[in-house]
Amino acid sequence: MKKYSDLEFLRLSKWERFVYKLVSFFAAIPVGLKNGVVGIGKFFANVFKAIGAEFADLVTTFTKGDWKTKTSYLVMGFGNIARGQVLRGLLFLLFEIVFIVYMVIPGGGGYYLKMLSTLGTEGPSKGYNEVLDTYTMTPHDNSFRILLYGVLTLFFIVAFIYTWRANVKQNKIAEQILKSGKPLRSGKDDLRSMVDDNFHKTLLALPLTGILIFTVMPIVFMILVAFTNYDGAHNGYTNALFTWVGFDNFRTMFSWNVGGVNYAATFGEILLWTLIWAFFATFTNYFLGIFVAMMINKKGIQLKKLWRTILILTIAIPQFISLLYVSKMFNLNGLVNGALKSLGIIKQSIDFWGTPWIARVMVIVINIWIGIPYLMLIATGILMNIPADLYESSRIDGASGWKQFTKITLPYMLFITGPYLLTSFTGNMNNFNVIYLLTGGGPTNAARSGASGSVGYTDLLITWLFKITTGSDTKYYLASVVGILVFIVVALISLIVYNLLPSVKNEEDFQ
Amino acid sequence: MKKNETEAPVMKQHMGLKASAAISNTIIYVILVIMSIIWLIPFVCIVLQSFRVESTYIVDYVVPHKWGLDNYVKLFHSNFTRWYINTFIIALVVAVVQTVIVLCMSYTLSRFRFKLRKGLMQFMLILGMFPGMLAMIILYRVLDDMGMTGSNSLPGLILVYVASSGMGYYVSKGFFDTIPKSLDEAARVDGATRAQILYKIILPLAKPIVIYTILTAFMGPWGDFVFARYVSQLKPLGMNVAVGLQSWLATDTMTHDNYTLFCAGGVVVAVPVAILFMCLQRYYVEGVTGGAVKG
Amino acid sequence: MASVKLTKVKKIYDNNVVAVHDFDLEIKDKEFVVFVGPSGCGKSTTLRMVAGLEDISEGTVEIDGVVVNDLQPKDRNIAMVFQNYALYPHMTVYDNIAFSLRLKKMPEDQIYERVTNAAEILGITQYLMRKPRALSGGQRQRVAIGRAMVRESKVFLMDEPLSNLDAKLRNQMRAEIILLRQKLDTTFIYVTHDQTEAMTLGDRIVIMKDGYIMQVGTPTEVFEMPANLFVAEFIGAPKMNIIKTRLLHENGKYYVTPFGVKIEVDGEKGRELAKRQLGTRDILLGVRPEHIVLDRKGGGIPCTLEVNEMMGSELHLHVYTEDETRLIVRIPTIDLETSERESLAQGKKLSITFEGKVMHFFDPETEKNLLCD
Repeated sequence: MKKYSDLEFLRLSKWERFVYKLVSFFAAIPVGLKNGVVGIGKFFANVFKAIGAEFADLVTTFTKGDWKTKTSYLVMGFGNIARGQVLRGLLFLLFEIVFIVYMVIPGGGGYYLKMLSTLGTEGPSKGYNEVLDTYTMTPHDNSFRILLYGVLTLFFIVAFIYTWRANVKQNKIAEQILKSGKPLRSGKDDLRSMVDDNFHKTLLALPLTGILIFTVMPIVFMILVAFTNYDGAHNGYTNALFTWVGFDNFRTMFSWNVGGVNYAATFGEILLWTLIWAFFATFTNYFLGIFVAMMINKKGIQLKKLWRTILILTIAIPQFISLLYVSKMFNLNGLVNGALKSLGIIKQSIDFWGTPWIARVMVIVINIWIGIPYLMLIATGILMNIPADLYESSRIDGASGWKQFTKITLPYMLFITGPYLLTSFTGNMNNFNVIYLLTGGGPTNAARSGASGSVGYTDLLITWLFKITTGSDTKYYLASVVGILVFIVVALISLIVYNLLPSVKNEEDFQ
Repeated sequence: MKKNETEAPVMKQHMGLKASAAISNTIIYVILVIMSIIWLIPFVCIVLQSFRVESTYIVDYVVPHKWGLDNYVKLFHSNFTRWYINTFIIALVVAVVQTVIVLCMSYTLSRFRFKLRKGLMQFMLILGMFPGMLAMIILYRVLDDMGMTGSNSLPGLILVYVASSGMGYYVSKGFFDTIPKSLDEAARVDGATRAQILYKIILPLAKPIVIYTILTAFMGPWGDFVFARYVSQLKPLGMNVAVGLQSWLATDTMTHDNYTLFCAGGVVVAVPVAILFMCLQRYYVEGVTGGAVKG
Repeated sequence: MASVKLTKVKKIYDNNVVAVHDFDLEIKDKEFVVFVGPSGCGKSTTLRMVAGLEDISEGTVEIDGVVVNDLQPKDRNIAMVFQNYALYPHMTVYDNIAFSLRLKKMPEDQIYERVTNAAEILGITQYLMRKPRALSGGQRQRVAIGRAMVRESKVFLMDEPLSNLDAKLRNQMRAEIILLRQKLDTTFIYVTHDQTEAMTLGDRIVIMKDGYIMQVGTPTEVFEMPANLFVAEFIGAPKMNIIKTRLLHENGKYYVTPFGVKIEVDGEKGRELAKRQLGTRDILLGVRPEHIVLDRKGGGIPCTLEVNEMMGSELHLHVYTEDETRLIVRIPTIDLETSERESLAQGKKLSITFEGKVMHFFDPETEKNLLCD
């Protein structure tokens, strides 16, 4: 395709420019894909190169190092202690001892690692209990624990290898420093550096540990669950073990007929509604919020503070109260129907939550009620930051109020809030509270009743996921599959939008 | 003559401007008043209905036929007091710990340039794309093993709220980024350690964002429904106000026998939280706008 | 009170951009050295490496004979004044100045003594209880200097301290820095992009470009014998006129032929050329605007007046020659009769000339001064 120079482009008509931009956008996609693949390839090449370099360094450090260094390959921290860095050395040594003990004790890391491939061999056995005169289950292996501690053990091994490598590296550095005639850092120096040049490590230790244990580990675990048959009937301990099933669950999710249930259509329908909901929830709030902010900010409007305060009430009051209450207001025998009836507008109560399309519109409308105040606050802040001279110069150029809005206010807002719009879109895709507290996902979608978790018309993927894991028929593996698919959708949208957003590219905190 | 001709339309336009401004302002006032009514109605209704004593179920009228404090009295003889105390304790602890964690994280990411900084931020961005609920299943089992679920869910809930709060560093990092780096440098030349820079220079300057962080951390547990429900497993002693009050409405009868009780409970929860929020509104606005502008 | 020595100092950023190349400099005790250059030349980076705010990629920095590469800023015994003052906004002026002393755990009465002393010298005593927000730019600058003063450190670093002030205040503060220097009697390193500041303040000037040192010398040296074309154009305002021309060596005499007019290079410059036995060649000829005079005898370079800027005490005449080369001529107003001054309107034909002793000769390839070693 022909590439226009800037001057040639300016000669094009509006329509031609649009076509040109459209074509260039799509023409860029293969290139982008290629760059992506090349980038990933390069990344792995770099990783392998780095690992190679690490190994090479390990060998040279060993062959060139003195006996203290060599001993440290087996006894971690030995070099540190021998060279007088007792504190560091002891920590290394302690870590090694803990690791070895954990790996070798019965029922420790070694056991879990061994069982990880099967997730347990001996299921619960049925036995006759003479006292109670019934059959009871005696549990043996615990698949859940095996998977959990297996993953943790893998984490631990990685951490050990990293620490061991650090231990070797320290020996090398210490040798170099001593050779150059400088003293090594003492334990006291180490402690002092924890509040100074290494302060960031001190600060990050706690938050990152929390994230690792309470976010990363569960996510890894749940990704693995998607490849097992873990559910209510196979809880891995008291009723039956669960085990690896490969990609079966994904196949189920994308099949048209599994035991009379069409999971692919169920998923498709919910995903479509999730996207529609996220789109409307994000953009209605966004534009109405800007609109309200501009109304309140308009010169000559009195009592600005009062209007804002009234709106902010929906932020100040915990959402579950307002949402639950509003949901009940629209009940069959709720306030709204009562009011409409007494005003004579309707004779029969409207079933707001029982009619699919009304329920869908209602959640979007009520979400506006919840969301406008946030956007009003944000928009107010940004509107005040738009340089006044832009408006003044445009007025001199002859722009009307509407033109000013479309040519100055809106582009400015969009530029600045681009990343916010993206996070708000993905946030709305996962907006559990509004949907669950208003409708509980209902009204029930009879056509999809076979699918796990009693699917409803206003269900988002996230509420469906919740229902799958809490109902009477819990299918954790299915929930994991849904979770992974949600991640993929969110990641894809983010990736595409990020690459289109101008403000992201300029966001670089370059100094 | 010519002069007059050009002047007249200008005059007219001037008058027109004023008149049209008056009209548009009137329209805006009308819209604002209507909006205010819509925004206030639910809250007015919930307060009114909490004083209704002639019946406790859901009805289609607003103004009680008989007024009284029965619902509030009943509230304090129910599990509600327990839920309230639970939530309050959780909110207090979370407010403190979460603030510390968030500030540590955001200060570090704003001020230090270490090797894995970029990678760490990208990694957290990707982590955030997984639905947090997914982690709940396993966290529940782990907490269950440690005996922190059901009636005893308080420590478990605190742990869940606090543990991953480091990922919410974005808003405060954005604020820290606006504090000039030369202040840090001047302090370093003056002989301050990094830790001293944090609590002698940065924190005093970041007061609005510290308050914002505390406020949002404190308000979070009052509204949390998902995790609290999951961890408490609907055991009355382990619930927070959100799960508790919802359980009063969740019964499948159409009439909802505990409806007025729910209204009273809602008022008791909402009033202090809303007052606190309104007092600290200024800081909240600063945080929210700053966060959105930074992305 | 210390010497500073930079040996082969190099700064390479993470993205492999080299900001400073092999920087060698020895600063004597109590010397006032100015780093000057256009933005992005590496002057601030160099200063920050001395301060310890920037890692040194290669080479060593010594203060008083001690290598300080691995020392924290606070352990280098330096004081620094920042471009945007970097006053702690939440502290009063007193607390700002006392901050470093408090960190050293100095007794409060000693702190009081030092702070009030510094405030006295800087004339900010009446502002001690104010917050920086309530001060004017000049006052803030004084507080920043005060904060550096009380540390009584070996080296005093200043990073463009005057660039945030308006022109008038800048001149005033410049004079005050000269006075301050006499009082403090310590080693100064001063960074600026303003050549006037560099010329007036520095004992020695280090002129930098793209991370390289272009010339180190006293103000007189760099003005009278710029080592290369860059220094020649950078020092002096308005900047030096550069004319592409030829150097002729005929009958033992040297001539230049700007715009076809043959001018003899006589006096000292001619002897210097002869000493170096330079033959006929292409050169870049540099002449400062103030060294060009209006030629009333005839035989000068014909040119046309384009813009006449009246600066008060002098006139800046922008002229172009027949081949459209633009030159600037700077003439003291007092040298002109009123009638002649008024006749200098746009389009007026003029004739200009200059003497051999004011010429600078640069090699067109290397841009080095032909008379510099």
